[in-house]
Amino acid sequence: MSRKLGLGPKRGLDFELNLTSFIDLLSTCTCFLLITAVWIQIGTVEIKQSHGTEAASEPKDSVDLDLVFKSPSELALNLKKNGKQFKTYNLKTSTHAELNEKLGQLVTSEGMGAEGSKLNIGVATVTPRSTVNYGELVSTLDILRKNKIVNIGVLTARGQ
Amino acid sequence: MRLNQSLVTANAFEKHLVNRRRKKNWGARSTGFNLMLTSMVDMFSMLVVFLLQTFSSSPEILVLKGVALPDSITPSIVREAPVLSIAKDGYLYLDQKLVGKTTDITKKPDELLGRLNAIKKNWSTSHTNPFSGEINLQADKEVQSTTVSMVMGILTTSQFQAIQLAVIGK
Repeated sequence: MSRKLGLGPKRGLDFELNLTSFIDLLSTCTCFLLITAVWIQIGTVEIKQSHGTEAASEPKDSVDLDLVFKSPSELALNLKKNGKQFKTYNLKTSTHAELNEKLGQLVTSEGMGAEGSKLNIGVATVTPRSTVNYGELVSTLDILRKNKIVNIGVLTARGQ
Repeated sequence: MRLNQSLVTANAFEKHLVNRRRKKNWGARSTGFNLMLTSMVDMFSMLVVFLLQTFSSSPEILVLKGVALPDSITPSIVREAPVLSIAKDGYLYLDQKLVGKTTDITKKPDELLGRLNAIKKNWSTSHTNPFSGEINLQADKEVQSTTVSMVMGILTTSQFQAIQLAVIGK
């Protein structure tokens, strides 16, 4: 009675889903994704060793930062402007983790960072030492990169 | 109070399962088994969604066996470039091929420089873009930082100036 005229017989709302093809598709997708899955996320930390040739293009108001490792828990920071050293900080702790923490605090408190910061760091150069292993060096580079200092170079033992 | 009929009565699929079980019980014990399709499809769907979320289309580099890469909290995306590896035992590999002992190479880098020059020459034949000077450097986290920096010096002299240190993203 309530049905409107001219609409024909009422169609069922239920429909059948072909599960076989659905499962096939899901199995294929799962296999493909499992094979191509990457479980270890490898990234990179970029080092620019060519800053010596690009010195002329650097802005004049930028400051160069030198980080000299004395031991895994001791680091000297030298700030240079136009080749002249104007400030030095010596950080000494008992562990490398504490050193990194202290370095992060210093970089933040002194406003060292990218363009627009209190101290615009143009280039940061890290001088490693044989007592410092590669993992510790990368963790220190991480602190700089975290504070938007991305133009980083590593000084070689020959002073290149 | 009236209950919703759909909650009380079984749907067609459940009826089918019940009937099949009954039929099985009439005769001899069947060797077949019941497969719960609903839960299986649920599981597959969840797996597909999880794997799609973790899917990465960025290029990957092979990590040399036995090399423990350092962790980093600020990793960038890996770019396709030759891979130079320094193992914990002090051996140096270029694209998974042994070059020699790192201490010997830092003193006499001719072998490494030769291979790097060959890569530079072959670059134009295998790539459409000009040589960018990019190289991926893998080193074990226990290796001395001065050893890594000396290898970097050799790379810089060979015009590989954009060095990407391979790390494991946290």
